[in-house]
Amino acid sequence: MTRRKLKDVASVIRSKNAGPLLLTLDVILPDKATFDQVVAAGVLAPERMAELYRVSHNEVSVIPFVQALAIKITLPRRYRSGGPTDSDVYGAQQHVPLFDLEI
Amino acid sequence: MRLMACSGMIGYGFSEVGFRRGLEMGVRMIGCDAGSMDPGPYYLGTATPFVSETATRRDLGLMLRGAREFDVPMIIGSAGGGGSDEQLAWTASLVEDLARHYGLSFKMAIIKAEPDRAYLNRHVTAGRTAPLGPIEELTTDTVDRAARIVAMMGVEPLQNALNGGADVIIAGRCSDAAIYAALPLMHGHDAALAWHLGKIIECGAQVIEPRAGQDCIIGTLSEDGFEVEPGHPDKICTKTRVAAHTLYENPSPHELKEPSGVLDSSLCTFTQVDPRTVHVTGSRFKSTEAYTVKLEGVRRAGFRSIFIAGVRDPVLTAGFADFAAACKARTRDQARSLKIDDDAYTVAFRTYGAGAVMGDREFAALKPAPTELCIIGEVIADDEATSRAVLAKARYALLHTDFDGRLCISGNLAFPFSPSDISVGEVFDFSIWHTLELDDPLEPFPITYQEITS
Repeated sequence: MTRRKLKDVASVIRSKNAGPLLLTLDVILPDKATFDQVVAAGVLAPERMAELYRVSHNEVSVIPFVQALAIKITLPRRYRSGGPTDSDVYGAQQHVPLFDLEI
Repeated sequence: MRLMACSGMIGYGFSEVGFRRGLEMGVRMIGCDAGSMDPGPYYLGTATPFVSETATRRDLGLMLRGAREFDVPMIIGSAGGGGSDEQLAWTASLVEDLARHYGLSFKMAIIKAEPDRAYLNRHVTAGRTAPLGPIEELTTDTVDRAARIVAMMGVEPLQNALNGGADVIIAGRCSDAAIYAALPLMHGHDAALAWHLGKIIECGAQVIEPRAGQDCIIGTLSEDGFEVEPGHPDKICTKTRVAAHTLYENPSPHELKEPSGVLDSSLCTFTQVDPRTVHVTGSRFKSTEAYTVKLEGVRRAGFRSIFIAGVRDPVLTAGFADFAAACKARTRDQARSLKIDDDAYTVAFRTYGAGAVMGDREFAALKPAPTELCIIGEVIADDEATSRAVLAKARYALLHTDFDGRLCISGNLAFPFSPSDISVGEVFDFSIWHTLELDDPLEPFPITYQEITS
């Protein structure tokens, strides 16, 4: 049996600035069962996020928010938003590494 | 108590149908946020709005007429985008002009939010500032070198202006939620509910379906909770959208820092009371001992000019990274011949099709090379003339430098435009993103009043 990927089960996978220093990724699941499964599987554990986004794991926070069936991941941006070397002012296209995570 | 947020942003628009309906439902105030740091540091750096004057006039004009007809206060926060003095003056001049045009009379309060440098430096020296995220400690040097610094006010200056009899409040940089929390807190409503309601409605139609542009949203506070519904009769609010909204653009999903405390929505219950209305209960507010406002500041990093070009030759697309490095070296030699020092500029070839979006966070294998690459050649120097002089050298280097296996000896680039070189403008960088502890929430936010008579 092939394992399902996050992009096949999530209803939202998005990235956005949380201020000019931080990037925040929201994964929203369609129902409580899938939410519980993703949380329990540790798919989005801080260590894995740190590896994926090439930051230190103590710079990553991963917080589930059950009311919204969401998991929020926050980590430092590569560069401050809109600065000389930035490439994504809104941080809106940094979500794709999460797509193929297996659950 | 019923409140209306007209739009997520002045200039993003709202429907006249939704606006009218909200007024007729008996709202006690109308408001709109006008600011955001999301479009980057340029707008605060140059004190320019990121919405058009035409759209701003349209939204302000409708709000002014509605507020006067129904005699309810109107609050605009973070005027002009960044909420700096210049942006505040621009917004106030539009309001005066619109008042004359429509024959309106009212008392206007203008609240500044750009504290002077000596005041800020006294607080820096006294250790009353702290980093808000991954950034260095604030120093007086950083304050002195900033192009512009604003402080984000809480509810207190807005309440002071309301108590002062203001019909229309134009505020500099301001907490988005404070626009809506100010009035209910004055009337003794629960802090958690007032702040949470403010947070949910400040983004306007973010919580409305169908999502087609911006629109009005109405919040109604009661003893034990609050309700949110769209102004427009054909639109709906869903509990999923409302619950998910606290996630948006926040580092934490259920905690929101405001000057006087932290809003916690982790134990909230969101109930769909009818197809278009959501009821929220269970918000909590933890007051903090210190009263802190956010400081936002930018420093100027230079002037940027660019060219845009395509590469189609497969030999060049395959080896572009090494080729670009060679061209940078050639650009440096050419700039030296113009007596431009190496440290007077930076040059970059942003290579779309080969990791330009994610940089060193790109995880996908980028081979084989794509059929085409888009190159943005970029030079940042202190002034426009130097930036353009170096860019012209970089363009020439990229266009006419040999590479192994080169057959296309008449040129390496496909320029889509003539002229090829574009002056983009000044470049800024966020240098201040800190908290500032205050003894008096009003201190850095002076209020002036103006009687507008038509």
